Amino acid sequence: MSHDHHHCCGVSTNIEDYFLTRRQFLNRVGLGLGALGLATLLPSDLLAAPAATALNPLAPRLPPLPGKAKSVIHIFAQGAPSHVDTWDPKPALSRMDGKTLPDGGIAMGSPFKFTKMGQSGTEVCELFPNLGQHIDDMAVIRSMYTDIPAHDVATVFMNTGSLRIPKPSMGSWVIYGLGTENQNLPGFISLRSGGLPPGGAANYQAAFLPGVYQGSSVNTQAQSVQQMIQNIRNQYLAPAEQRRQINFVHQLDEIQAHNLANEAALETRLNSYEVAFRMQAESTDVFDISKEPESVRAAYGNTPQGKQLLIARRLVERGVRFVQAWHDGWDHHDKLQERITVKAGEIDKPLAALMTDLKQRGLLDSTLVIWGGEFGRKPTKDRNGYDEPGRDHNNKAFCTWMAGGGVKGGIVHGATDEFGAEAIKDKVHVHDLHATILQCLGFDHTKLTYRFNGRDFRLTDVAGNVVQPLLA
Amino acid sequence: MNPSHIGHHSGERPSHAFDGDATSRSRSDSDREVAAPAIALRALLSVLAFGAFAASAHAAATPAVISPADLQFFENKIRPVLAEHCYKCHGRDADKVKGGLMLDTQEGLVHGGNSGAVIVAGKPDDSILIQAVRYTDPDLQMPPKGEKLSDQQVADLTEWVRRGAPDPRTLEAKGSAATYGGVGRQHWSFLPVKKSPAPVVKDAAWCQTPVDNFILDKLEASNMAPNPPADKRTLIRRVTFDLVGLPPSEEEVQAFLADKSPDAFATVVDRLLASPHYGERWGRYWMDVARYADTKGEPPKIMGRPADPRYPDAWTYRDYVINAFNQDKPFNQFILEQLAADRLIEENAKKTKTDIAKMDGSSRAALGFLTLGNRFDGRMDDIINDRIDVTSKAFLGLTVSCARCHDHKFDPIPQKDYYSLYGIFANTYEPEEIGQEPWIRSSLPKTPELLDYLAKTDELKKKEAAALQDFRAFVQTRIVDKPKRNELLRKIQEVEREVSDLETTHPGAPARANAIFDARMPHDYPVLIRGEAANKGEVVPRRFLDILSADPKKRPEYRTGSGRLELAEAIASTANPMTARVLVNRLWQQHFGEGFVATPDDLGNMSSPPTHPELLDYLAARFMEEGWSIKKMQRLIVLSSVYQESAAANPLYTDTDPDNKLHWRYNLRRLDFEQLHDSLLAMAGTLDPTMGGRPVRIESADFATRRAVYAYIDRTNPAEILTQFDFPNPSVPSGRRYLTIVPQQSLFMMNGTLVIETARKLTHRPEFLESGTDDERVTSLYLAIFQRPPTRQEITISERYVQNNPGGTSTEAPASTRASELQSQQAQRQIQQAQRAAQNIRGKNVFQGEPGAAAFTSRAPLDAWTKLAHALFQTNEAMFYD
Repeated sequence: MSHDHHHCCGVSTNIEDYFLTRRQFLNRVGLGLGALGLATLLPSDLLAAPAATALNPLAPRLPPLPGKAKSVIHIFAQGAPSHVDTWDPKPALSRMDGKTLPDGGIAMGSPFKFTKMGQSGTEVCELFPNLGQHIDDMAVIRSMYTDIPAHDVATVFMNTGSLRIPKPSMGSWVIYGLGTENQNLPGFISLRSGGLPPGGAANYQAAFLPGVYQGSSVNTQAQSVQQMIQNIRNQYLAPAEQRRQINFVHQLDEIQAHNLANEAALETRLNSYEVAFRMQAESTDVFDISKEPESVRAAYGNTPQGKQLLIARRLVERGVRFVQAWHDGWDHHDKLQERITVKAGEIDKPLAALMTDLKQRGLLDSTLVIWGGEFGRKPTKDRNGYDEPGRDHNNKAFCTWMAGGGVKGGIVHGATDEFGAEAIKDKVHVHDLHATILQCLGFDHTKLTYRFNGRDFRLTDVAGNVVQPLLA
Repeated sequence: MNPSHIGHHSGERPSHAFDGDATSRSRSDSDREVAAPAIALRALLSVLAFGAFAASAHAAATPAVISPADLQFFENKIRPVLAEHCYKCHGRDADKVKGGLMLDTQEGLVHGGNSGAVIVAGKPDDSILIQAVRYTDPDLQMPPKGEKLSDQQVADLTEWVRRGAPDPRTLEAKGSAATYGGVGRQHWSFLPVKKSPAPVVKDAAWCQTPVDNFILDKLEASNMAPNPPADKRTLIRRVTFDLVGLPPSEEEVQAFLADKSPDAFATVVDRLLASPHYGERWGRYWMDVARYADTKGEPPKIMGRPADPRYPDAWTYRDYVINAFNQDKPFNQFILEQLAADRLIEENAKKTKTDIAKMDGSSRAALGFLTLGNRFDGRMDDIINDRIDVTSKAFLGLTVSCARCHDHKFDPIPQKDYYSLYGIFANTYEPEEIGQEPWIRSSLPKTPELLDYLAKTDELKKKEAAALQDFRAFVQTRIVDKPKRNELLRKIQEVEREVSDLETTHPGAPARANAIFDARMPHDYPVLIRGEAANKGEVVPRRFLDILSADPKKRPEYRTGSGRLELAEAIASTANPMTARVLVNRLWQQHFGEGFVATPDDLGNMSSPPTHPELLDYLAARFMEEGWSIKKMQRLIVLSSVYQESAAANPLYTDTDPDNKLHWRYNLRRLDFEQLHDSLLAMAGTLDPTMGGRPVRIESADFATRRAVYAYIDRTNPAEILTQFDFPNPSVPSGRRYLTIVPQQSLFMMNGTLVIETARKLTHRPEFLESGTDDERVTSLYLAIFQRPPTRQEITISERYVQNNPGGTSTEAPASTRASELQSQQAQRQIQQAQRAAQNIRGKNVFQGEPGAAAFTSRAPLDAWTKLAHALFQTNEAMFYD
């Protein structure tokens, strides 16, 4: 078995490197094992380990750099929200409304008003009256751009930084780097209200990272926790009876462990039963928003997005590292005015409530909140929209905003041209956004790497620059 | 840098450029700075960029002098702008190069155009190129016709020139053989396989095969001794899980215990190697390597809409693989068929002067190896890359796909070699539509099912033609009517879906090969510089890799068809040092948990050295000598003492060889997903031994009881149960699975309906119910689950567990109350709803129920004995073998 310590700069792919000495490492007791380290650790390394030891690829770790954010809530506005109707006001476009733009197409001014809000005086669209209250906490990036204006590809690209090869998602990279605080819950949870997002599991996949870093996809519209998480509840045995059974299993395991000379892998597995047992209760609790006071539930609203974001807060509060909350339906080729009003209405109040709630609990400083889609839309009328116009896809410009952990509030970064057709000033590519997010969490994005097939891979591939002005 | 290039520019200043004060100044600055010992990087770069060639010697010594930051800047900001806005008129692919200026190579950039140099390194304001893109001079505006670059792009170009215009392009286009691709040629795995005689050892009696001599030689050199052999029960459990993926039956155990002959173990091994279950076990391993799945990942679009993602006939490849293992198809033949079965059939038809339609075409199914990858939305270059990747990793243990955009960084694989293989795979085509692939069998009996299928196919063909005709007619009217257009498109999509459904589910649909054919007019392809389609380099012949060719200087060029057959022959050649080593390493890894080399898909320079190089070579040589027989190789390995050692710990060695690199004991093995799933069903007696055919949803509500190798694998959304138990990512070749132990696995064992209902089946078998005493019952469960009788202690605590059951000890579950029945019905409905929802994602991947799935629908309360069986399933002993 190889002892090559695949030091890939900041984060080693060799689990042992997380521990000062082999002996100390062996004395850690944790949850489970995984990682390529594990592919190499089981069985050989563990065979040598004394009893009652285990190693845990999800154990919480400090990042190499100081990072303010300890957890992330990423609200994915899937479908490509129109930036000129949300966070990038374009008066020049309104003036040209109905006329042909120099680059072709009929200009479509935004039907919505923007007003300056907060100390910062950032323009906020009337679609977001509640979110506007938090504008001084938000860094609005108006110069995002991406590579391809196709939903599936761009959505997976936003999550994995890869257009072609299946690569690990951002959440997987983050828990690979940081582990997770709560060992009784998955470290990376992808919340959806209904079907899977375009691209499916590719959006939360571990790809070549060990499976332990895969995101768990949870349908928050499911009626019960047992439908949200596979096998989370025993449909036959009451908890007391299950406890009796697990105690009995432990008893048998101890006898067998003796026969098998106290293998560490066996001990680890025994431990994972205990965690699984606790997880049943903890998961049931964390997804049960009826445990929140009525006032809190009312603030978020009794809607799919309200419930989802309240669950997101409960997860982060309990030490889940990375939460993604999907909000789809932003693809407005026609009837934009009507449809975007609905979409914004779905998210404005719940997301504002989340911001308030995080702030009140002192969690906003350590939680990086991100809102955005996979690309933006054109300043012109989509020719298929007829009398009820909408906008076509545009990968050259869109908006993303961030708030909380490590982000400077009340700023606007970058700009598009006068009509919002293309980002031109301080452009931020998806790779740059990823680099910045990792920086907020305490990672140099060029050093969070994993060796696979003889090459060190990273979230930002060979690109990405941290957008320094966004950082507090 | 290419020597002739350096020579050309050496010494004298080129006459065509660098005129004018500014440029001269720049050049002399550069000269001066280079002469100084501590030169600034930027200065050196400007020297390189301009080829001010007093510095050539330095440049030649360190050809890649461009800082990572500059390289990144160039690749991210500069190359895309040049490629998108300039190459069309100023590149080698231009219809007519404008102004004599070529911007697609570094030389061209330095050379300048008809009117001289266009950039002055470090001096953007003095550079014509920058002036042109700034659009300040009405007579000098580029790109022309008002297509002004964005401010950011202009700023980037300005910054680039200010940095000295660092440009990596020459290096990658010309550097191949001399610089990059030459590294690591002496790496062990590229050298010929060398068969050494078995070493002489002290304890010769321990050695049952030459394998043991190699193993013991190393142990003795470290003053270590191998463990004693495992006891017979342990051994038969180990070898049965290992060779067929199932636990032995009690009868098989008893027969082995009773057989006192010296060949008793060999008898077991031969029985297992002859079992049809053997192919199901080892075929699955090959399917990992072949990145098998039943869906296309990103299916191509039909008229802008994603096509049906299913491969209706992927399973024919799976069955081909299982049969190949069962028949012990020689591995070299296995290679040839998977890469070029169609060509082999043609050649044989020619040789035997038989009509090709009358040839046995069943081996065509092997081509699924190439064709069943991700479809990348129809992007051919990605599809070809996937085929190069799987071919080179699976057979050669090389990551050739790393050389797609540049020469391989670690292995001697120049980018040109990638495009030699690219040409081979590019000169192929596949049937365009579902339902057009060739049948596996050239003729089929006219069963009512087949006739019905053919009738439905005709019907659908008509429907399809009509739908297409309607759409074309509509398009010709040029009427803009989006709803109408969508409606017509939806109809086409619907028919496509029906075709796919028919092929996927109709009982009469003939099995088809996922075939591939050679292009009729094959030709060579150019290198794509940086992997960019718009950046074509030298055209390279179709041929084998330089490093693995007997005489790299005389590599035959493939001129017959695509060259797939010639490539396959080169891979399967005994002269090729990689192929046999890679396969033998894979086999060793699967038998012991660890290979000689830890990375089975990469034996190149980035891999760790083999733990037993002489043994690896001995086995590789012997494998080829013995006709590439996998079964013979496995028999040799398994009948060695090293395989039969006990797994017991030895405190003396835990410090000296904690990783068991020297094989002083057998490694403890965790069951993989298939072993776990299949063994549960086997123990309960519910395993359906049917082989082959269409895939089944093993995770569905009424759990299919077929072996897990027959599971439907959705490439994009594999069943959660698979991923939780480390099933490999079906988008990339995986020669080795991760082994994790995570709570989700425990939840499955604790709460999973499959596990619990299987326990119930086990305790409700007549032979269990008829057992007289509690002791007999406990023993019966132990024999079924662990293939050993319980100890007295285990009997005692097991009986105590049963006696303490709140519902009593009867084998009858307590009568369920009306309330709990209702509850269980409701739970059942909810689960079914959830499963339907999960499987019907936006109308994709709808799966039809499979016949033969056993109905586990009860949520009736559990009796005490079922709880005991369920508990035993959850123990470590049930999850590992030693």
